[in-house]
Amino acid sequence: MTNSIRKTTLAMTAAFVATAFAGQAMAETPSWCGPNQASVALLDGFGGNSWRQVTTASAREEAMKCPSVTSVEYADGQGNTQKAISDIKGMAAKGVNALVVFGDAGPAVLPAVTEVFKAGTIVVPYRVDIGGKEGENYNKWIGASFVNDGENWGRWIKEILPSGGKILFLSGPAGNSQGLDELKGLKNVLGAEYVFVNAEPFEVTNWDPALTQQVLTAAISKNPDIDVIVSDFGPSLVGALPAFEKFNVSIPALATSDGNSLGCFWTDNQAKNDKFKLFTVATGNDNARLAMRWAVALATGGTRADLPGSIYLSAEMSAEEQTKAINQ
Amino acid sequence: MQEGGYFLAGIGSRRSLRPTRELVTVAVSTLVLILLCALLAPSALTYGALSGSLPFAAILAIVGLGQMLVVQQGGFDLSVPGGVSLAVVIASHYPAGDDALLPTAVALALVCALVAGLVNGVLIGILRLNAIIATIGMNALLYAGVFAVSGGVPRITTQLLASIAGGEIFGIGHSVLFAVALLAVVWFVMKHTVAGRRFEAIGANPLASRAIGLPVKQHQVMAYVLAQVLYCCAGLLIAGITTQPTAFQGDSLLLPSVAVVVLGGTSLLGGRGFPVSTVIAAFFLTLLSQFALSVGLPYSAQTIIQALALGFGIAVYSLRWTALKTLFTSSREVKG
Repeated sequence: MTNSIRKTTLAMTAAFVATAFAGQAMAETPSWCGPNQASVALLDGFGGNSWRQVTTASAREEAMKCPSVTSVEYADGQGNTQKAISDIKGMAAKGVNALVVFGDAGPAVLPAVTEVFKAGTIVVPYRVDIGGKEGENYNKWIGASFVNDGENWGRWIKEILPSGGKILFLSGPAGNSQGLDELKGLKNVLGAEYVFVNAEPFEVTNWDPALTQQVLTAAISKNPDIDVIVSDFGPSLVGALPAFEKFNVSIPALATSDGNSLGCFWTDNQAKNDKFKLFTVATGNDNARLAMRWAVALATGGTRADLPGSIYLSAEMSAEEQTKAINQ
Repeated sequence: MQEGGYFLAGIGSRRSLRPTRELVTVAVSTLVLILLCALLAPSALTYGALSGSLPFAAILAIVGLGQMLVVQQGGFDLSVPGGVSLAVVIASHYPAGDDALLPTAVALALVCALVAGLVNGVLIGILRLNAIIATIGMNALLYAGVFAVSGGVPRITTQLLASIAGGEIFGIGHSVLFAVALLAVVWFVMKHTVAGRRFEAIGANPLASRAIGLPVKQHQVMAYVLAQVLYCCAGLLIAGITTQPTAFQGDSLLLPSVAVVVLGGTSLLGGRGFPVSTVIAAFFLTLLSQFALSVGLPYSAQTIIQALALGFGIAVYSLRWTALKTLFTSSREVKG
């Protein structure tokens, strides 16, 4: 008898706790998460560095906030355009409802994106401009403005070198759109008194630390008086910067993207190198979260009005708090 | 005395000290390039530039020596990227910044290299699989290992490895000294020990070697094992030199590794090896890209120059110039 009472009490407590949790979960379900069940996938063009791993984990975490999302899949294009294209088509063919695409290969993936979009899959490309139009080739593009990054670097360079100087600009693979946009931004701000000592449009490093090291050595030996290095992958410079020591010159100012190893390197070496100043732009892992929100909102029937442009996911503040801050 | 004579072959004989045609060709090409650098891009020859680029020449030289051993047996080793990258990730991920774990990591990397080389060797030397196919398969397996260890993510190397691989003695990078030491070992064993002489003979003509009772399979297996050990050494050096290597650091070494073997004069059909020429060719190729960078050529032109150098190298050794000459003169005679 006592046993059954205990059992009943236990069951009731369990039911109560479950309801309470469910209530809490309901309360925490974001408005961009709709009632329709959907599967989503993140398609990376190249997943082989720590930044990509963190970005992928962020996007996955964002998707998991929505209980209507049944699965989050991932495919790594491994820097191979053909694989990236077949990943996009393969995921759509598998019946995944929404795709978030990091289109590293640029316009080369547009035909695949357009094809799956026309077949009814929700596609949200992000970060890299793949061309095409919203509503025609894909649902929504979530982009970071690399021109803006270039302008920010340019303004800082003007601040530390008001009367001009020699700039070495390093970017990734030949012709990558990120590097070209950044250069456009730099040139928007900097006048003719700032001389680029690299080959046009930028020195190719493939974002590979070993190649970066060789390119940098050649550049320094030719121009030991470089005033500022601009690079869109800061951490790849850590192995290369000690080269300046061999030329007995200070490491120059550095306008680049953030990364913990680079920050530590600056802390350790700034005292010995009088010209070594550091300016970094955020690498924008939050783009992936916003892209995922759009994909989930469109696939599950959530509210899209809640995703305003001036909300910064990287701030880790609620949208309401940020809205309040903006409207003050 | 007799045993010593059996072990050491040909030391002190005048023939072994005479520079070969291959060595002269690559040395002269390198001198011409140095002259070109002095005239057009003197900055590529400064101490700073050389101390920055020589470590990479050293790595290419070590990988090239490994590839040369395989090419001498008439094979091709396409598992270079996997072998190098696996050593890189084991050396950077396993210790995770802890110097005390570095020796274990190095030992682990060497064991992996030995196993990979042995499997390659058995598949190709004993089971007679095509070298290209077997080593492509091995490369995929090694990359599976790379992903298992690293998940594709780079990690910062330990301080100890960075100072061992990246340090300098009297202004010469340690990696260069490693390359010279490995070259000395490969050269001595190949040219002055019985095992080495047999290795070359078997590469030149495996059938005849078998007929005279040489252990053909054993030597062919050893080529793949030793090649992997050399790739592993190169990978360990890269991990130290680049501080934050990617997990795919070996990818860019595959084609240059074949290029230096060809430029060094080793025939792709197997046989005689030219370790000294191969190492000079590695220096040549690295200096060539530094030259192109220093002159300020666009990236496309840099790639074309390297391709032309390779084409030139193959042409020098492979074209039968005398045959061409006779063809040319005889056709003129016919016309006349």
